[in-house]
Amino acid sequence: MEKNKASQDSIKIFNRRSFIITAISLIFSFIVSIRLFSLQILNFSFYQKKSVENKVSVKATPPIRGDIFDSEKNLVATNASLYEFVLYKNLNKNYLDEVNKLNKLINLDLNIFNISEKLKLFNAYTPFILSRANWEQIVEFEKNKFLFTSIKIIESKKRYYPYKNLSQIIGYMGKSSDVNELYSKGVFHLEKTYEEHLKGKPGKIFNEVNSRGKIIREISIEEPIKGNSLDLTINLKLQNFSQSALPLSNKGSIVVLNRFDGSILSMNSNPTYDSQVFEDRENETIKSLLNNPEKPLLNRAFTGFYPPGSVFKPIPALLGLKKNIISEKTEIICTGSTSLADRNYYCWKKRGHGRVNLKKAIKESCDCYFYELAKKINIDDLSDLATALGLNNIYKIGLSNAQKGLVPNKKWKKSYLDQGWYQGETLITCIGQGFNLTSPLQLASLYSALLNGGKFPSPKLIKDEPIKYLGEELNTTHQKAILSALKAAVQEQSGTAYRLNLNNPNFVKIGGKTGTSQVIRIKEEDREDDIYKTKEIEDRFKDHSVFVGYAPIEDPKYIVSVIIENGGSGSAVAAPIAHKILNFAYQENV
Amino acid sequence: MFKDFKSLLNINWIYFFLLLIIFWVGEINLYSAAGGDLEPWAISQLKRFIIFLPIVFFILLLQPKFIFNITELILITVILGLLITLFFGYTGMGAKRWIRVGGFNLQVSEFAKIALVIFMAKYFHKLNAQKTIGLIRSIIPLLISLSLFLLVAVQPDLGTALIILILGLVAIFYAGIKLIYPLLSLILIALVSPFLWTLLKPYQQNRIMIFLNPDLDPLGKGYHIIQSKIAIGSGGLNGNGFLEGSQSSLDFLPEKETDFVFAIFSEQFGFTGSLLLISIFLIFFLVPIFKTFKLTQVFNKIILFVLSFKIFFEFLINISMTIGLLPVVGVALPFMSYGGSSLLSNMIICALLMNLMSVEEKKRMFS
Repeated sequence: MEKNKASQDSIKIFNRRSFIITAISLIFSFIVSIRLFSLQILNFSFYQKKSVENKVSVKATPPIRGDIFDSEKNLVATNASLYEFVLYKNLNKNYLDEVNKLNKLINLDLNIFNISEKLKLFNAYTPFILSRANWEQIVEFEKNKFLFTSIKIIESKKRYYPYKNLSQIIGYMGKSSDVNELYSKGVFHLEKTYEEHLKGKPGKIFNEVNSRGKIIREISIEEPIKGNSLDLTINLKLQNFSQSALPLSNKGSIVVLNRFDGSILSMNSNPTYDSQVFEDRENETIKSLLNNPEKPLLNRAFTGFYPPGSVFKPIPALLGLKKNIISEKTEIICTGSTSLADRNYYCWKKRGHGRVNLKKAIKESCDCYFYELAKKINIDDLSDLATALGLNNIYKIGLSNAQKGLVPNKKWKKSYLDQGWYQGETLITCIGQGFNLTSPLQLASLYSALLNGGKFPSPKLIKDEPIKYLGEELNTTHQKAILSALKAAVQEQSGTAYRLNLNNPNFVKIGGKTGTSQVIRIKEEDREDDIYKTKEIEDRFKDHSVFVGYAPIEDPKYIVSVIIENGGSGSAVAAPIAHKILNFAYQENV
Repeated sequence: MFKDFKSLLNINWIYFFLLLIIFWVGEINLYSAAGGDLEPWAISQLKRFIIFLPIVFFILLLQPKFIFNITELILITVILGLLITLFFGYTGMGAKRWIRVGGFNLQVSEFAKIALVIFMAKYFHKLNAQKTIGLIRSIIPLLISLSLFLLVAVQPDLGTALIILILGLVAIFYAGIKLIYPLLSLILIALVSPFLWTLLKPYQQNRIMIFLNPDLDPLGKGYHIIQSKIAIGSGGLNGNGFLEGSQSSLDFLPEKETDFVFAIFSEQFGFTGSLLLISIFLIFFLVPIFKTFKLTQVFNKIILFVLSFKIFFEFLINISMTIGLLPVVGVALPFMSYGGSSLLSNMIICALLMNLMSVEEKKRMFS
């Protein structure tokens, strides 16, 4: 054994080597400790943050959107749980048999062929919506649930619009273009404008999760915050009544204003649509709405711009009085036409009105009186006054696509048509034709200005919005002259709207002005050609029928502005509708 | 063959208690890895420990001479075991690393480490008269080391194979090979490593690539390292507290009970706890080393030194893996990683170490 004992020298080597290896091991341990120091002390907060991110999953719960009410606190836009039959293709190979079964069992009236065609292209794992489910259908389905493996009922929270007639005002919701935005948002009209006001705040559920995302426990819940509600000035009763008053055969629109505070009491447009289809993602219907040449999405009361026709006449009249071009007593002789610079301008009444003063000119809507007046009017003055009285204004009432319309002046013509102004154009402008473009809402505002003595409250759709006055004071005498003429147009014999009283003597007494807005400019030759009258005119080239009126006549509160596209003369079509609506508003005291 | 039973009282008690402490820390850690549950790991590891204890006492009672005599037998058994593993082994995680013995899946490669070191000890013991060891005398140990390395590497288990190779080399180095050879081989390795790279399996290359940049594959192979670093880093100075390690208890950490068990520990007990653990292992390493200075028998010296080094080395390699200092090569944390073969082999090592530490060198040991 002795020989196997390590020699002294080799022991030294062992010890030396032992020292080297131990030293290397110590250095290694030191490096490990340094590394731990770096991870746990220097970068502690970084890893702690990572750790928290790792273990907490935040699940957002959708915000609850604020409700929208009409002026009498009727819900006109809210949130609802909707139940739908949905099909999961992946759950049963014979899913079409199940659809058939469901169709028979619950009488859903599904078009099986259409559905099967659509389903062929549909992702197997996404629920395919078959149909809305109402309460009875749900009960029936639940009773026979065992028959179905691929069809289920799912609940979803949706924006719910109980009344179709407000779609043109409330607008609709849609997917945000921002991909990070989880929830749909208002994309049109009030839903869009008041998005921030209505949208509320999403809630959060903080869950502790494991690595597979499985929830271990709930840490905390932040309840979603409901958005603010919105009270409209719209009166649901009047809104519905007005919609039914619009003839289905023609496009058209109606707006009713409260003269005292500018509240829009109703605003209707025909054709219309149902906001709900956007919420329900009825893609076929949406597509047809967007492509419909009748433009059902257009709110014609707000974004429909037409030549105002004779309802414009109070403006040149006021200008004439103001500039002392005329007085109330000034008379002209209407022979049915007048001429300026070798051109003839015709009154609508071919035989002429005879002797015409201001009152008669408005009451009987004599064009010649305004032609004569127009000969002395500076178009820029007219444009300025019209703007002050509410035309040519953008009304920011919360609806999308707000536009200004047009009351022409020299500057406009120069910059847009690069032409000088002809006085003849002033003549056409003064009877509300020519370049003039006004919306029914602007016309209602114009009459609000007339009734309020120049300064008028800006129209508004939101109840709580403070009243904001626009316009400039009118001379009271001038104002009275105009108003008495407008009253006479309805109340006195030979007034253009006198027939209203005869037809409905029990209705509220109103004042107002008819208008006929020409769609195509009648050429001089046609005017002279008698054939024009008898010629078959295509419907779409027929004149628009316009009426703006107010009631009650003693102290008017309601102003209505009606336009029926291609309806013909104002007195025949628009005026009776306006009268009906004013009467309804007055009787119901909306 | 056996010592006197009384010799059990002569064991190094400090070492023994350190062993118990380390095992106990491992138990606590497995308990917390299961989210504060003895099931499934802590209880089963404890059962194993108790089952293995008789083996420890058995080894403690063995005469070193007996071990000396059966060295070749041990080596041959292990080589046979490795061959059986290769041909009839149980396949798991894409590798054949286990054979079924009784109720256990036995990982023979763990025992190859011990066999190799004992063999080395005997080999150099016999060569002892020489001052220095040249290349020729190192050839047999080198060949044995390399064959064990290859037998394990083809399983494939590169981590264990590398440990075997390194233990063999450390033994040769410790035994006193001329310094020129280790230096030369280091240079050689540097030169051939590009070729070695091509010999690696794609997943091994992957592991190294991802080790160099874990963010390459944050949800795949890099996930281990990233999650482990998050767990450890979020431990901070004093840790989140016992059972408060969210990363581990919420399952973010894969293989948390085996290779990444240190992350569980460090998340709970922080930098302070980690340093304490390193210190315990360091003392555990140094106690046998100090003993080697007092011994003259080469056989005893080599076994004591290299096997004690083995435990500490694996400890450091494992931690380095979990903190992103080294690629993930699958080396267990001694006494703390869940796993029977690793536990048994380390208990055998400790038994051997305690046995040899109690040797009175005055006696004649070997014939």
